[in-house]
Amino acid sequence: MKKLIVILMLCCSSIAAGAAESKLENIQVETSVQAVERGADALMNTCHSCHSLKYITYHDLVKFGMDKKKVDDWRGDQPLDTAVTSQLSDETAIQSYGKVPPDLSLMTKAREGGANYVYTYLIGYYITPEGMTSNHVFPETKMPDMMGISGATDPAQRAEIQTKARDIVSFLAWAADPHEEERHKLGYYVIGYLLVLTTLLFFVKNQIWSRLK
Amino acid sequence: MNNRIIKWIDQRFPLSSFVKHDLTEYPTPRNLSYWWNFGFLAGFVLMLQVATGIFLAMHYKADVTLSFDSIQHIMRDVNYGWLLRFMHATGASAFFLVIYIHMARTLYYGSYRAPRELMWWTGQGLLLMLMATAFMGYLLPWGQMSFWGATVITNLFRATPFFGEQVVIWLRGDYGVGDATLTRFFSLHYLLPFLIIGGVLVHLVALHTVKSSNPSGIDLAAKDNIPFHPYFTIKDLYGLGIFLIVYCIFVFFLPNSLMEPANNIPANPMQTPTHIVPEWYFLPFYAILRSVPNLVGGVVAMGLSVMVFSFMPYLDRSRIPGGARYRPWYRAMFYLFAVDMVVLGYVGYTPPSDQSIVMGKIATFFYFAMFVLLPFISRKEEQWLIRRGLPSDVKALVASEAKEKIKLPDQRRSGDIK
Ligand code: HEC
Repeated sequence: MKKLIVILMLCCSSIAAGAAESKLENIQVETSVQAVERGADALMNTCHSCHSLKYITYHDLVKFGMDKKKVDDWRGDQPLDTAVTSQLSDETAIQSYGKVPPDLSLMTKAREGGANYVYTYLIGYYITPEGMTSNHVFPETKMPDMMGISGATDPAQRAEIQTKARDIVSFLAWAADPHEEERHKLGYYVIGYLLVLTTLLFFVKNQIWSRLK
Repeated sequence: MNNRIIKWIDQRFPLSSFVKHDLTEYPTPRNLSYWWNFGFLAGFVLMLQVATGIFLAMHYKADVTLSFDSIQHIMRDVNYGWLLRFMHATGASAFFLVIYIHMARTLYYGSYRAPRELMWWTGQGLLLMLMATAFMGYLLPWGQMSFWGATVITNLFRATPFFGEQVVIWLRGDYGVGDATLTRFFSLHYLLPFLIIGGVLVHLVALHTVKSSNPSGIDLAAKDNIPFHPYFTIKDLYGLGIFLIVYCIFVFFLPNSLMEPANNIPANPMQTPTHIVPEWYFLPFYAILRSVPNLVGGVVAMGLSVMVFSFMPYLDRSRIPGGARYRPWYRAMFYLFAVDMVVLGYVGYTPPSDQSIVMGKIATFFYFAMFVLLPFISRKEEQWLIRRGLPSDVKALVASEAKEKIKLPDQRRSGDIK
């Protein structure tokens, strides 16, 4: 009986937990070079002034297949193998925002909800009835509404911002896990091989065991 | 030629007789089910962890200013470094999964009973070393969860009588978890697996003395034993294939599902994460820790919750063979205990709320009540079963195998019905 109550409680609370999660928008992260490059472009223009990606170098971007001319534009006169770091110093950041903007290299892996969280956060700004800007998933955030979504009322304009946000998140997802595609590709081979091997082992096993009467 | 070399070796080292005694002629009960594959799998995962760990250590830097970066270096720049790291991280979870199933099998079939108590106790020692190794390994990436997990757990040693404060400092090598802690954890994380290998050897020597238990719970006569090789080598390999498929699905497609997002943020002693959770394999014990309101009580309860398994050979007073198989009451307890573990795991995972605290207390009470009640229940159950009469096939089996049993006079042991 006690057990039953516990199980019932377990069910109720896991439903409650599910409800809290569903606040995040679900997006499909794109992995194509074009989408990731569009995201990098948008990020260089709107986010790079404050945020760094210290584990990503400009060389990584070229190696991934991005347009060399574009990358050269972004890096200016810095050598190709410098990390993508912003010019904003910690002191200035603390003065202006009260906080150093976090490094974005691992951002889609460093938050509960991953890419969905970052996307929902970026387009989650809105104007409160008091005329203040707030955010649905991170109400007290120190970051200004960089995508300009809170002031956008025109559906077409909002859609455009959402597309841009999705591109940025696609880029961040690549930056957090640059070997993901390679990993999946290798995974199919490895698991395919194991399936064949295990099937064969199964038959060998049956064969050997059939010697026992 | 070959024969001459082997002969030369045999005169100096018992190679052939070892292979014969422990492999080609090692008698193994033919009725072992697939639940008996997990010991071999645990040995395999141990080797996998050592192998990947040695290569990771070539690129890892145990230094608070460098370790987070060095993990990213492994993940991004080292050739197949991501593979090594995901194999190692997933391997830790796989290790616990395999060990927990191995333990559950032992409990279900009563394999801890005489004459296998030493197997059970060496296994308990191995579990403790495994837990220590995993706990220290988790600090090495130096993420937020690494740091705060180690802080919370080392802090528990404050419960030591008289020297609590000093013990904590001694463990950490500093007042807080810091560089000294990281380097010593790295050193011990590298050392302990080799002690585990030694422990496994003892575990195996004991096994080859008492031989494997089997689902019937009765020591089988010679006619029902078959040589380990080739029958169980191939069965273990087939099981390994299945295991590797599941393992690789996690390594290649879901590696991040086993990692806490907060551990992708570098450790920051100035900022406590909103919710500190250990890895899934510690959750039930963590829930027990949190369910006791006072520190000393919680620590004692947590320690006891792991160590209490050692008492199983004495707590289980029934002489009915076959563990849970022929024992309906014990079987019910086994499944209730499994459910209780899941409930505790859930409580350990969720942030404490009024509801989960109550749930944790009930589940903790239940956890210990099982062990406390076991002697009485198993006694009563035995009387009931004997009164009712064992199923005829069990009786026949007991009778047919009885002649060949290892005789241990003055001992209550499985299969002895008198
Ligand atoms: C004006 C400077 C500035 C710009 C430009 C900027 N950010 Fe931020 N960002 C911040 C600050 C400051 C924070 C810290 C917010 C906090 O923790 O309150 C932050 C935090 C974040 C976070 C973490 C939120 C969390 O959950 O902790 C993400 C993700 C992020 N920014 C993404 C972006 C992206 C993507 C862009 C470009 C579209 C961008 N930022 C542009 C200043 C900026």
